[in-house]
Amino acid sequence: MIKKTLEEKAFTHLKEKMDEGLLPQWVLTDPDIYDLEIEKIFGYSWQFLGHETEIKEPGSYVTRWMVHDPVILLRNRNGEIKAFLNSCTHRGTQLCTADRGNKKTFTCPYHGWSYNLDGDLIGIVAGNKVYGEEMDKSEWGLRPIPKVESYQGMIFGNLDPNAESLEDYLGEMKWYLDILLGRSGGMEVIGLPQRWVAKANWKATTENFAADPYHVQTTHRSTVEMGISPEDPLYAGYGHQVVMKNAHGINVITSKTGKARVPFQGTPESMWPLFEKHLTPEQLDIQSRVTVFVGGVYPNLSFVSPIHGTEGHLHNYLNFRMWRPLSPEKVEVWCWFLIDKAMPEDYKQAAYKGYLGSFGPSGTLEQDDTETWARIVEVSKGLMMKDKELNYNSVSNYLMGYNRVEPDENFPGPGTAYPTTYIDSISRSMHERWLELISKDLFVKEESQ
Amino acid sequence: MSSEVKKVTPELQMEITNLYYQEAYFLDNRKYKEWLELLTDDINYKMPMRETVEGVDIDNIAEDSSFFEETKTSLSTRVNRLYTKSAWVENPATRQRHFITNIVIDGTENPNEYNVRSYFLFKRSRGSTTDIEEMFGERNDIVRLVNNQWKIASRIVYPDQSVITTMNMSMFL
Repeated sequence: MIKKTLEEKAFTHLKEKMDEGLLPQWVLTDPDIYDLEIEKIFGYSWQFLGHETEIKEPGSYVTRWMVHDPVILLRNRNGEIKAFLNSCTHRGTQLCTADRGNKKTFTCPYHGWSYNLDGDLIGIVAGNKVYGEEMDKSEWGLRPIPKVESYQGMIFGNLDPNAESLEDYLGEMKWYLDILLGRSGGMEVIGLPQRWVAKANWKATTENFAADPYHVQTTHRSTVEMGISPEDPLYAGYGHQVVMKNAHGINVITSKTGKARVPFQGTPESMWPLFEKHLTPEQLDIQSRVTVFVGGVYPNLSFVSPIHGTEGHLHNYLNFRMWRPLSPEKVEVWCWFLIDKAMPEDYKQAAYKGYLGSFGPSGTLEQDDTETWARIVEVSKGLMMKDKELNYNSVSNYLMGYNRVEPDENFPGPGTAYPTTYIDSISRSMHERWLELISKDLFVKEESQ
Repeated sequence: MSSEVKKVTPELQMEITNLYYQEAYFLDNRKYKEWLELLTDDINYKMPMRETVEGVDIDNIAEDSSFFEETKTSLSTRVNRLYTKSAWVENPATRQRHFITNIVIDGTENPNEYNVRSYFLFKRSRGSTTDIEEMFGERNDIVRLVNNQWKIASRIVYPDQSVITTMNMSMFL
């Protein structure tokens, strides 16, 4: 079905343009491309499920989605983390509809089949009388998510049983996650993730967050007008953009002087000895000078650790967000607030308010992003935009820094670090990964025929 | 004790209803600075999250999670931003309506303060598209008489949605 509309030629064109630092516009919201993305990217990549502090006690659970696959993420009686398909094995009914809770068993409201925290089918209404002795309950347990692994408290799932391990997948990114999540010995999630549905394509939102500090000075110009952000149009460009294996990336934004205006992102001095204890000297140096860390784990998890706040009080926190594709033009945004467990209680509360005021759904920074995302998809159906022959040069520009900026060999962290964040290196790497995944085995059959 | 609680007269009902109509008018007509004047300086403006929970008669307000937690100062920052040229979410301005109904007033032991419950239906049209965004829920306020004028001293907004159905929350509810 897909082959009818997506020809090999279109992919050849695509590859040619991408090699020139351009991305044909038709791919952004094309429905056939979208189906390929869901199957070939999300079917084989590690996707974020939740943080260990969201399921603290035995029996604690949260319900999540891996795009359209429903997931129950829980802690069993032995304290182990498990993830199952949130669907009864009898007739497929969604088993649990609550956002979170604590339970010993999950019972389906349709015919009453019930499961324990290890996913074992433990109860069938009128079991032996209707199914007889030949019914083997062990064959009808909840279907486990094929792979579930954690790193620094962050739990990921993968629908591909043959996927490489999470640690191998994260690779060089672990060094940066160790700073973001491990700097003081551990982070915790406060509350539920805020969720809202944006008019946007998931590729645009991930790119906007993980790869594009260049948008900050225009999209968020209102904060400059109010004197909250600096006038210098380069202000979000100072620092390094780091490109890593598997299209992960991070922007380490400092300032013109190479140092933030406050050390250690404005965290209380009582925290600094913890940073020294948990970080290497190179990591500590970066943490002491950074203003904002912003980046992403491919395909659809982004993070930002800014210095922000209102009322003259500056705070640092960690915001993770997952972009769940709902359609080519819709994304459900999941937005988590994380803070160091060791942070003083009043700081945690103040930082939460700072988060709501900036990057939460009601945040002043968040709001304007939603407008630009919508304006991209609203014009993506045009014939010129969708032209696969590219007669009209319908391509987006990813030429910033292309073949022009050399990596900084002296940057202490792993990955390829460019000495500016106003550069499209992470975006181009995300596109390469995207094409590699969606085109895998796509035309092999035709060739062999 | 209940004898100390002031009775809600039709006049009072009318005055507080008019306060809400005035407030909706300000919010729907980009008169945000005028709207701020309707709030006391010590206002606590909060919007906790709604969560889906299993069971009957179980509280489904997620008190540990919020969409808004604001003071007068932070609300002023939000308002001032909407008067800049580059708050793109409201430039071009969206068209909004706040429909406020089901106003129930209860007296408190303070003769100048009343607890007021109201329902809201918020509708928004953005750009020249045909998509209509909406949200609805309940507001629990404390309304206070200050210098002969009714002001909002506290507001807790309870949305009925657990996943927000507007693409952003640039509005006040």
